[in-house]
Amino acid sequence: MADPKKPRAPFAPWDRRELPGTFTVEDTAKRVGHYKWVEMRLFEALGGWVATVPELDVKMRLGTHCYKHAWHSELWHKRLPELREMNPDRLTRPPNEAMEEFFKVLTEPEDQGQTIEKLVGVYRVLIPRKIAAYTYHLNNTSTITDAPTIRSLKLALNDEFDDWRDGEMLIQALIETDEEVERAAAHQTRLEKIMLRAGGVAGPGSLGSVPETMTEEVPV
Amino acid sequence: MKKNMPPDELARDGRFVRVNMVERISDPRNGRGPTGGRVGARLTPDRPGAPDAARALMHGIFVGEIQALEGAGRTCWDFEVGAGSDDVPFQLKLDMARQCWDEARHCEISVKLSEWMGTEIGEFAESTFLFEAACNPDPVLRLTGVNRALEGLAIDVFNTMKEFGNVVGDPVLEFCEDWMLADEVTHVKMGSDWLRRLTVDDPERRKRALEFQRIVDKLFSGGGFRGDDEDSPVHLARRFREMAGFTVDEIDEISDLARQARAEARARTAGATAGAAAEAG
Ligand SMILES: [Fe+2]
Ligand SMILES: [Fe+2]
Repeated sequence: MADPKKPRAPFAPWDRRELPGTFTVEDTAKRVGHYKWVEMRLFEALGGWVATVPELDVKMRLGTHCYKHAWHSELWHKRLPELREMNPDRLTRPPNEAMEEFFKVLTEPEDQGQTIEKLVGVYRVLIPRKIAAYTYHLNNTSTITDAPTIRSLKLALNDEFDDWRDGEMLIQALIETDEEVERAAAHQTRLEKIMLRAGGVAGPGSLGSVPETMTEEVPV
Repeated sequence: MKKNMPPDELARDGRFVRVNMVERISDPRNGRGPTGGRVGARLTPDRPGAPDAARALMHGIFVGEIQALEGAGRTCWDFEVGAGSDDVPFQLKLDMARQCWDEARHCEISVKLSEWMGTEIGEFAESTFLFEAACNPDPVLRLTGVNRALEGLAIDVFNTMKEFGNVVGDPVLEFCEDWMLADEVTHVKMGSDWLRRLTVDDPERRKRALEFQRIVDKLFSGGGFRGDDEDSPVHLARRFREMAGFTVDEIDEISDLARQARAEARARTAGATAGAAAEAG
C-alpha cells in the first residue's frame, strides 16, 4: 500500500476544474430566478393540460413531466438564498415581457383536438431553449466556486433530454397528415418568433452572445 | 387555457363511456342492486360474481386514477402562489405536481392490472364524481375533499384489493396494490398537513373544509360500499389512515357515516321491493 504520509497534489491529475467562470454571484442569482419562473410556468401548464388531452399515453406522460419541472423549480428556489437572495420571490420573474407573452401563447391551446399544438410548444420550442440555456450555463460557470449550480443544472438537463425525446416521439406518433405537419410548423413558428424577441429562457444572453438586433443590456 | 374546468369537459378517447354516479353503481356486474343497495357483500373469491365485481372495481380504480391525475394537475394550474384566500403556497403546488406523477403511475399500474384481469378500457362506465370534488374553488376545501376524503377512500380500496390479491393467490395484484397504498398514504398526509397549516388561524374555514369532507365521505360510503362492518365490500383501513394523519375519532366518524349510508340504502331497497310487490299485486 502507498505511504499515507506521502504528499499528494490537491487536485488529481485528471481533475481539470478551474476557478474562473463567466458568472458573478448576482448574475447567477438573476439567471436562477428566471429558470425558476420558467419551470413553474411550465409545470403549471402541463398539469392544467392533463385533463384536456384525450390521448391516454400523452395524458400520463404530461402528468409525469409536470412533476419533473416542479422539482427543477424547487431546486432553483432553494439555490436562491444560497446566492444571497433571501427573498426568492423577488427574483422569481421572467427575463422580459416577451417571455411572459411566450407563456401566454404557449398555454392558449385548450381544446381536445389541439394536442399537437400543446406538445409542439413545449417539446419543439421551450425545452430545446431550456437545454440550450442550461448547457451554456453549465459550460461557462466556475467549475469550483459554483459546483452546487452545476449539480442542479446536470440533474435538470438529464430530465430535459429524457422529456424532450418523449415529447418529440409523441408528436411524431400523433402527426399523420400534411395538414397536421403544417399545423405543428405554424404553431412552432409563431412561438419561435416570440422566443427570439425574448432572447431565450434567461433573456438576451441566454447563450452568451447577444444578437446585434437586441439593444437591451445583457441581463445574464 | 381557462381556470376551473367543468367535469363534463374532461378529455377522453372514444372507448370511455360517461354515466352518472347512480347509473354506475347500478351496473349489475358490481353485485349491487338497481338502487345501489349492496347485494354482494365482502369481496371474496367465493362470493357469487366475484371476478366481475373485482374487474369492475379495478376499472373503477383505473378511471379514478385518471381523474385523480387530472384533479392534481388542475390544482397546479388553477391557483396562483400567494397568501390570499384564493392563493396557495409554492410548496402546496409542488405537492400537487408530485401527486400528478404518482397518479400517472397509478394509471399505468391499474391499466396493466385491468388488462391482466381480462378487462378492456371502457368495458365499465365512468362517472366524474371524483373530479367534481376537485373543482371546488377554495383550495383548502378542494384539498380536504380530494386528499382526505377521496384519497382516504383509495387507502381503503387498495388495502381491500391487496388483501383480495393475497386471498386469491395473485402476487402481482397484491404487490401493485401495496405500492399504490404507500403513495395514497402520502397523498392523504398531504391533505391532512395542508388542512392544518392553511387553517391554523381560520377555524371557520377549517370547519367548512371538514364539512365538505364529510359530504364527500358520505357519498362514497354510498349503499354501505365502504365501512367497518365485517361484510362491507371495502373496509376502513384504520392503521393506514392513522399514518396519514386521521385521528381515531375522525375514523370513527367515517365509520358512523358509512353505517348511516348503509341504513339509508337498505331503506331505499326495502321501499323499492315493497313498491314492486304492490305493483305486482
Ligand atoms: Fe392514486
Ligand atoms: Fe392518490
